[in-house]
Amino acid sequence: MNHTMTLTIQRVEGALIRALGLIERRGFAVTSIDASADEAAQQMELTIEVRSPGRSADVLARQIEKLFDVRSVDLVRTDEPAVQLEESMAC
Amino acid sequence: MKGAELLVKALEQEGIDVVFGYPGGAIMPVYDALLDSPIRHVLARHEQGAVLAADGFARVTGKPGVCMATSGPGATNLVTGIANAFMDSVPIVAITGQVPTPVMGTDAFQEVDIFGITMPIVKHSFLIRRAEDIPRIIGEAFHIATEGRPGPVLVDLPKDVANTMTSVPPIFEMKSPDLGRPDPEQLALACRLLQEAERPVLYAGGGVGIARAVDAFSAYARASRIPVVTTLKGIGAVPTRHADYLGMLGMHGNLAANKAVQASDLLICVGARFDDRATGRLDGFAPGAKVIHMDADPSEISKLRFADAGLLGDLRVSLASLPTELSIEPWRAWCGERKREHAWRYDAPGDGIYVPDMLRRITEADPEVTIACDVGQHQMWVAQHCHFQRPEQHLTSAGLGAMGFGIPAGIGALMGDPDGRVLTVTGDGSIMMNLQELQTIRRYELPLKMLLVDNASLGMVRQWQELFHEERYSEVDLSDNPDFVEVARSFGIEAFRVTRRDQVDAAIERLLDADGAILAHVCIDPKTNVWPLVPPGETNDVMLEGMSA
Ligand SMILES: Cc1ncc(C[n+]2csc(CCOP(=O)(O)OP(=O)(O)O)c2C)c(N)n1
Repeated sequence: MNHTMTLTIQRVEGALIRALGLIERRGFAVTSIDASADEAAQQMELTIEVRSPGRSADVLARQIEKLFDVRSVDLVRTDEPAVQLEESMAC
Repeated sequence: MKGAELLVKALEQEGIDVVFGYPGGAIMPVYDALLDSPIRHVLARHEQGAVLAADGFARVTGKPGVCMATSGPGATNLVTGIANAFMDSVPIVAITGQVPTPVMGTDAFQEVDIFGITMPIVKHSFLIRRAEDIPRIIGEAFHIATEGRPGPVLVDLPKDVANTMTSVPPIFEMKSPDLGRPDPEQLALACRLLQEAERPVLYAGGGVGIARAVDAFSAYARASRIPVVTTLKGIGAVPTRHADYLGMLGMHGNLAANKAVQASDLLICVGARFDDRATGRLDGFAPGAKVIHMDADPSEISKLRFADAGLLGDLRVSLASLPTELSIEPWRAWCGERKREHAWRYDAPGDGIYVPDMLRRITEADPEVTIACDVGQHQMWVAQHCHFQRPEQHLTSAGLGAMGFGIPAGIGALMGDPDGRVLTVTGDGSIMMNLQELQTIRRYELPLKMLLVDNASLGMVRQWQELFHEERYSEVDLSDNPDFVEVARSFGIEAFRVTRRDQVDAAIERLLDADGAILAHVCIDPKTNVWPLVPPGETNDVMLEGMSA
C-alpha cells in the first residue's frame, strides 16, 4: 500500500533525520519527499510518500506524532495495491 | 557561571541527589562542577555499569536515573544501557561530554556522533549548542523522560559550551504531565465487551507499574475476579499469590496462563504491548478473543493486534471505570483447575540443587526482597518461581534481554533505596559482563546480595542448541570459569560455595542474614533446562514440557 503523509516539524537539530529514520525503521520505504521551510515559524513542511510493508500507516502516523519535534502528521492519501514486505524493504 | 555549573545546578533543581558516571576529557568541566555540588556521584567501573545502575535506580524509585560519560568511548559504552531503558520504558537522562563545537564533524579525538548513534533508542535527545539553553534543555529532558510512557533522554554537551560563561537565566519549569482520560465512546464499548464476555483474561504488562496503577489494577482484579496473567515486566501487578493469578504468559510462561489466554474470548491488555516473547506466533495468539487495549502510549494501540476498544490515557482512570459485576464463574472454575493442574512442582529427583526451589524459598523467607536479574535460564526461573508483591521488586532486562544488567541494577536499586534488601540473581555467563562493578559495591559498601547460578555454560543458549540445533553445542561451554568465590573475595566481598541440596537452607539463611555484600556461588548440573517452553515460531498452544533437573 502507498501512503502520502504531510508532516510539520520543528527546525531543530536532528528533527528531519529522526522522522525519516523512524519511518524506515518501522519497515516503511520512503518513495518520494518534498520539503519546504517556513522561516518565520522555524518549521518545515514535508510531504512524504511511503510504501507500507503491510503494516498500519495509522500506527506509523501515531509513532511519528510522538516525536517531540513533530508538530503535526496527517495521512492524506492511501493507494492500492499492497506490496509485499520483502519488496518494499528492497528499495 | 559556567555552562557546566549551570548543568549541575539544573540537575539539583530537578531534585537529583545521585548520578552514576565515569569521567573523561570532554566531560571534565562537569566533573569539576560536581565537586561543589551536594549531588552524590557514584563512580562505576565501566560506563555500561553506570547507565544500568541509573536504570535500576529509576525502576526502584520511579524517579529518573541520571548517568554521565565522556565523549567517544565513554558515550558508546552507554549505548546498551540506553537501549535497555528504551525497550523497558525506564526514565533515564544520560549526559555525555562532546568534543568542542569548532571541531565537531572533523573526526576529532574521541569524537563520535552519539546523538546520531542513539537516535533510534532514545525517547528524545538534545545537542546543546549554547550555554544559555542548558536550564531549558535539562528541564525538557527530565519532563520528556518521565511523562506519558517514560524512556531515556540523551543530552550531549560539547566541552566549549560547558566552559562558556553565561549569566544565569531562570530555571525552566515544566508543567506536570496530564495523561488524559479514555475516550467515552471507547470506554462504553469496552464496558459492553466486558459484560458480554464469558472467558475474559486480564493481561498485565510493565505499564501497570510505570503508570503507578498497581493498586487500581489489583483492586479491579479482586473486584471483577477476572483471571490474571502478566508479561515478564508485569509480574507483581497483582501479588503472585493472588487467587486468580495464573502466572506469566508466553515462551517460558506457566501452562495455565497460556491455556487461559488461548481459550479466552476477551483479552484485557493493560499496559502491555503484545511482545513476541509473550504472544508466540502472533496470528495464533488468543485466536478467539476480542481485545480491550489500555495504554498511555497512543502508538501501542493496534500496533500488533487490532484493539476492539482502545483506552488511551491514565490506566487508573480506565480501570476504575470498568464493570466488576460479571458472570464468569464457570470460566473462573476452569482457570482454577488449570492452575492446580499446572502448579509448579518442586520435587526434582537427585541431590543436586534445584534452583527454582531455592529461589522460591528465598522469596518466601523474605517477601520484601527486591530481585535484580541477569539474563538467561536463571532469569526465567526467577520470573516463574519467585513471589513478588509489587512490580518494583522485580528488576529484569525484559525487552532487550541484556546480560550484565543484574549487578549494576542491584547497585542502582540500593542507591535508590538504601534500606531495602536487594538480591542480584546472575549466571556464570552474565556476571562476567559487568564483573568490574563488584568494585563499585565494595567502594560504596553496598549490602548487595548475589546469587550466582553456575551451570558452567551459557545455559539458555545451550538449551536452544540442544532442542533446536540437534545438540550441536557451539561456544556455550564455560567450564573453564574462574573460581568465583576467590574472585569475589579479591574484591573484598564475602563469598561462599553451595553444591548440594542439603546445604541450601543454610545458604539461604547466610545470604539473607548478611549485613554486607555477599555472593553465594551455586553450582548446578550444566544440563538443567527451563520448562515449559514454546518453541520459537510456534503458537502458545505448543508448550514443550520436560524433566527439570
Ligand atoms: C549482552 C548479551 N549477549 C548475548 C546474549 C544472548 N544470550 C541470552 S541468554 C545467554 C546465556 C546466559 O548465560 P548465563 O548468564 O550463564 O545464564 P544461564 O542461561 O546459564 O542461566 C546468552 C549468551 C544476551 N542476551 N545478552
